Formats: sequence, C-alpha cells, structure tokens
Amino acid sequence: MATHSGEHHHPTPLQYVKIAILLAVLTIIEVALFYVNEAADMGGWDAPLLIILALFKFVIVVGWYMHLRFEDSALSKFFTAGFILALILYAIVLLAFGVIALGG
Amino acid sequence: MEAAAAMDHHDQHESTGIDHRKLGMWVFLSSEFLFFGALITNYLLYQGQPGFARPYPAEIYDIPFTSFSSFALLMSSLTMVLAHNALARHDQHATRTWLLATAMLGSVFLGGQVFEFTEFITVGGMKLTTNPAASAFYMLTGFHGFHVLLGVLMLLTLYGISRRQGELSEASGLNLELVGLYWHFVDIIWIVIFTVVYLLASVPAGVG
Amino acid sequence: MPDGGWFGYQPNAGPFYSPGTAMDYWALGVQFLGLASLISSVNFIVTIFNMRALGMRLLRMPVFVWMSLVVALLLLFSLPIIAIALFMVTFDRQFGSLFFVAEAGGDPILWQHLFWLFGHPEVYILILPAMGIVSEVLPVYSKKPLFGYPAVVFAGAAIAFLGFGVWAHHMFASGISPVAQAAFGLSTMTIAVPTGVKIFNWMGTMWGGRIKFTTPMLFAIGFVAMFVIGGLSGVTHAVVPSDWQQTDTYYIVAHFHYVLFGGSVFGIFAGLYYWFPKMTGRLLSEKLGKLNFWTMFTGFNLTFAPMHWLGLQGMVRRTAYYPPEAGFDFWNLVATVGAFIIAAGVLIFMFNWWRSKKHGEPSGMDPWDARTVEWTTPNPTPEYNFGVAPTVTSLDDFWHKKYAEDSEGRPVRRPEAENTLTDLMETGINPPHPIHLPAPSYYPVLLAAGIPLVGWGIIYHTSFVGKLLILVGVLVVASAAFGWSMEPLEEPHDEHDDSEPSGGGYPSAEVDA
Repeated sequence: MATHSGEHHHPTPLQYVKIAILLAVLTIIEVALFYVNEAADMGGWDAPLLIILALFKFVIVVGWYMHLRFEDSALSKFFTAGFILALILYAIVLLAFGVIALGG
Repeated sequence: MEAAAAMDHHDQHESTGIDHRKLGMWVFLSSEFLFFGALITNYLLYQGQPGFARPYPAEIYDIPFTSFSSFALLMSSLTMVLAHNALARHDQHATRTWLLATAMLGSVFLGGQVFEFTEFITVGGMKLTTNPAASAFYMLTGFHGFHVLLGVLMLLTLYGISRRQGELSEASGLNLELVGLYWHFVDIIWIVIFTVVYLLASVPAGVG
Repeated sequence: MPDGGWFGYQPNAGPFYSPGTAMDYWALGVQFLGLASLISSVNFIVTIFNMRALGMRLLRMPVFVWMSLVVALLLLFSLPIIAIALFMVTFDRQFGSLFFVAEAGGDPILWQHLFWLFGHPEVYILILPAMGIVSEVLPVYSKKPLFGYPAVVFAGAAIAFLGFGVWAHHMFASGISPVAQAAFGLSTMTIAVPTGVKIFNWMGTMWGGRIKFTTPMLFAIGFVAMFVIGGLSGVTHAVVPSDWQQTDTYYIVAHFHYVLFGGSVFGIFAGLYYWFPKMTGRLLSEKLGKLNFWTMFTGFNLTFAPMHWLGLQGMVRRTAYYPPEAGFDFWNLVATVGAFIIAAGVLIFMFNWWRSKKHGEPSGMDPWDARTVEWTTPNPTPEYNFGVAPTVTSLDDFWHKKYAEDSEGRPVRRPEAENTLTDLMETGINPPHPIHLPAPSYYPVLLAAGIPLVGWGIIYHTSFVGKLLILVGVLVVASAAFGWSMEPLEEPHDEHDDSEPSGGGYPSAEVDA
C-alpha cells in the first residue's frame, strides 16, 4: 500500500534535526524582524515578510514533518482545499468589513 | 474518525490505497482550517478597532516570553517526528522517550499560556470582558490551547500504553502517526497565530 | 415573548435582549448537533472515497451517493464556522465576552456573516440529498438511464462549490457595501445555471420514457415541478433592489417552502416510498400512497402559494398581529386550511407506514425493476448488506445484468436475468463465507450521554450544581473516549478470512477525482 511503500523515502533523523534548525532560524528571523520594525518603522514591509516566513515554516512542517509530500496526492488536495477555502472565505469577510482593502 | 475506524474491517480494502483512519484524520484537519480561520478573522476584525476600552492585546504582549513558548511548541514537532521515526525503526525505548519529550514540550507551552493569561489579567488588566479584541484574543488562543491539551493527553495515553505493554504494537503505530498528524497541525496553526496575532498586532492610532 | 428566530440574530438573541436560558439551550444544542454532523461527515467522506465496491469508480456511483458525498463536504467545511459563531454567542451570554455587544464596540454584523457562511451551504445540505433521490427514482420509473449522468453529478458539485460564495445575499438589507451587494447578487444568479442543468436533465430522463406513475414517481415529479417554482422565486431575491422589497416578508417564506417542502420534503417522501422495501421487505400501499401524495400536494400549494402575493403585498414575517384592514385575512385563511390538509397527508403517510410494515404486499428482491446495486440484496436487507461484495462493471450495473439492448437501443430482458436474480437472492441470504461485523459498543452512547451534561453545566455554571455537572460530564466524555479508543476494533482473525475470495484486496478502484 502507498503508505508503506512511501516509508523509505522519509527523511532520516538527522534530516529532521536539520529541518528543526531551519525552523528555529526562521523563527529567530521573525522575532528579529519584529524588533527591527519596532526600532525603525519598516513602512509596512514587515507584514509581507513575516507572512512569507510563517508560510515557509508552515509548508516545511506540513511537507516534511507531516510527510504530506510523500503521501498520495489526494491527501494534499484535500488539505489544500480546506486551507484555500478558509483563506478565500475569511478574506472576503475581512474585505466586507474593510479590515483589508483591495488596492490599498 | 472513530466511526470510520469502527467500520474498518480487515476484509474491507481501501479504494484509494490510503488507510481509512489516516484519510479521516486529514479530512478532519482540513476542516479545522475553517475553525481556526473563523477565530483568527474574529481577532483581526477587532484587534485594531479604535475606541475600545483599554488595554488592547497588542499593548500588553510579552513578545520575548511568547517567542520562547512558541519555540517550545515548534521543537515539539521535531520530537514528535523522532518518536514516529523511532517506532518505524522498532526502537521502543526511543519511541517512549520522544513521546514523553513531546508531551513535556507541549506542557511547557500550556504552562506558558496559563502564565501569560494570568499576567495579562492581573498585571495587564485585560480580561475576557475588557473589550471585543480581548474577547477574541482569549477565545482564539484558548481554543488553540485546548487543542494542545487534547494532544498532550493523547501523547501521554500512547506513552502509558507503551509502558504497560512494553511496546507499541503495529496498530498503535498508526495511532502514533495519527496523533502526530494532529500534533503537527496544532503546531502549524500556532505558526500562523504567532505571526498574525502577536508579531503583526497593532494598536489603533492615538492609543499607547 | 420569543427570544430569537432560528438564525439567532445578534444582539436580539444576546444576553441583554434575550435573558434567561432559552438561547443558551439553542446555541449549545446546535453546537452538539454540529459536532455530530461533523464527525459523521468525516465518516461519510472516508466511506465513499475508500470503501467502494470493486470496480465502483467515482463516475459509476449512484447519484444519491454522489450527492451524499457533496453534502458531507459541505458539512465538513461549513460546520466549523457555525461552531465558532455559536461559541461566541455562548461566551457572550455566559462569560461576558463582548463579540456582539455594540455598546462595547462589538459588531452584530459579524454574527450574520458567520451564520450565513454556514447557513447558505446548509440549505444545499438540505436540498442535494433530495436531488440525489430524485435522480435515482426518475430513471427507474421512466425505464431509461438518467439523462446526462456526468452533468447531473458535476452540477451537484458546482451548486455546492458556488453555494459557499453567496452567503451575503441573506444580508442585502444589513447595510453591506454596494460592491458586496453586486458581487453577491451576481454569484447568487450563477447558482441558477447548474440548477437549471439538473432540471433539464430530469426532464430529459422522463422524455420518451415508459413512465409509471407510482407514488415515488409522483413525489419525484412533484419535486421537479415545485422546485422550479421555488428556484424561480429564488432568482428574484438575487436582484438586490427587488430583494429589499421582499426581505423579511412572506414572499421569502413562500420561496423557501417551495424549495424545502416542495423540494426536499417531496424528495424525501419519494425516497421513503422507493426504499421502504429495503427496510421492511414489503411495499407501502400504492392506493394510500397516491392519496398521500395528492393530499400533500394540494395542501402544500394552498398553504404556500398565497404567501407569494401576501408577501409582495407587504405582509412581514415575525409579527404577531395584522390588522384586518391590511387585507391579508382571506389568503391567510386559505393557507391555514392548506396546512391542515398537509397534516392530513402526513397522517395518511403515518398510517400507511404503520399498516404496510406488517400487512404490506411482500416486495420480493427487485420490486421496481431497479438499476442500482442496492437492489441486488434481499429485502429487508441483512445487517451485513451483501453476502458477497459486488463487482461493478458499469453505471447502473444491476440494470445491465438484467437487460441487453436490441439493434435500436431498446432494452431487452436477458434470458438469464431470472437466474441472476435467484443467485443473488441465494448468496444474499446464505453468504458463502462467514461475515464478521464489528462488535457493538456501549462507549459511543456513554460519550454522547456525557456531552449534554457539560452543556447543562455551562448554562448553569455560576451555581455549584453547574460546576459539578461540567466536571462529571467531562469525566464521562473522557473515560468513554478512552474506553472507545482502547476497545479492540475487530475480533481476532480466524481461518475463514484467509479463504475469502476477496483476500487479495480490492485492487484500488481508480480514483478519477
């Protein structure tokens, strides 16, 4: 079955640790960015950077720690569907409230 | 998921090749995006609105402290995946160790949240009833904390089974994988919360 | 004084305007039902994707199964939203949070968004299974395959998908921006397209068929006709200025009863008459059934048709008193008479059910000359369903086992059809290999019993008894969940299983999703 045949592709413990170090570094950059923006206003550039960093961490954990990139594509389709749907629906709600705006 | 599992019968085979319970877990997790999405939306709507009773959540955040507890939760994903890996290598002792380590890191996070809430209420003066932004903050982080608590309980259950039986069987191996999926999911939700709720929080102009 | 409508608009249903416990029971009750639906939707999705019979590709599945899958997906993605919204209500009412308290800066419109983000998919959750039933019933009594099967399936999926993008048409009168009104008006109109596709496919199915007007068929045709009326009045709400006139009037009540009573309920009745033999091995009385249909059909139209013009004349909803000079009296009297006729129809149905369960005509295995594999098991269906798991080679597999086609494409009964039926009956009653069913368990019942304890505890949490109830409830739920998960899933293997012909597994039926 696909679940077992995929097993040997899984990363080794050493690779898992390396991924964790990457995650840790990304987190340090996030917190550092926060303080940089506190000290000298980044003119709104902190938000996109921080969101990209968070998404990066998100994808790493889902792809490697949750093994999604080694699984049947049906699972990633499902998971992505939920994520995208939530993103779109709640973005529309926030648009309707004017919390986020199109075209600035 | 339990219901799907109960229907799992050894001469029922998977049309998709994916284990029933694993498919069920992923399906469930995809719906959790809508759950946490609503909570985050709720918070984003209120956190920067002017005219609320003070303090706003962003006024009293303790970023160094939250960074520390977020880090503990992030690293618990490493120990979780190492537990899963150890079980795949039939290293029962290491499995137990990493399971316990994951539960401990989860508890550190939960302890941090209890401390944070207590500080916010007693020192910061921000209660659930202070303003809608505070309500949204406590509800969002509280529901996430509740998810972590359930995860810790499941991890400790696996640990207990392993201690009592001396090992985790093949069937429990799948359970460990499922608990792991849940655990990582709770972690990725916190990755989003940490950025969107803490690091990107703002107070309306003229406040603070 | 009532506390709130079914949609619990804030702040009317909040702590200030609705003190007391009624809305708390409502919020927690819906919450727990939602939890149950969420779990079962996961179950349905996994079952339908993963436990198909050999050869049952996705595009060979009966439309009813397809629509059940679509509904499960809608539940999966919409229930978490209402869960949060209801938690917010409970928190506002019980713990003093300020989500919808306008004086403190809370925004009651947020409730409307979250409620209708769930609420609109919910109406498709109600109608799609009925559409599935009708898509099963019409071909059987028309002696023709469903016209445009893939189109019907994809239209169902499209309705569900679009159904997530139209929620704010319930809020045109709440002051949302003109852009939002235009966008949601447009998206609402697009729903009419896949719905129209379905209507035309159903008519195409009946066209040129040898139609038998049995009770299930009457209900199915009634569904199509009434749903068209409800669908057309629905499109009129998508036009924003027209909706401003109609909102909160009886015109809306007329619309949704034409889709949910003339639609869903008629569909469900068609299904009950159609599948009654599968539950009992007997047929419901056709005589009473036809009486049942015509009574309900007449009563339904008498009740709800007048509400169209009453609403357009300005009869608003949720009002206790209408002065006689408003001129609503006559048609309201007609509606009242109609409602009693509907009640008579339901009583006829209940009598029919009660009587036919014992004295109905025995149905045999295939009373309707049906098309789909559920009719290849004996009636009533044994608890293990199939004696031997079926192998499916085409859409309407059972039909093709019974019928071949002549040179002009007309169905000709295969000479061996009767033997096929006898064999299926035999293996259904006496399975060639023992069948193990999962052992029953008390833990789910125990777990379910713990949940309302927690609910009552939350409602009365300020008192000692309330706190105790929460504690006891949590303990019951936790220990039941623990016991349930520790329970062995299956009995130990025994020698029969290895000789099972399907032991090699269902080689994965292609997933063409």
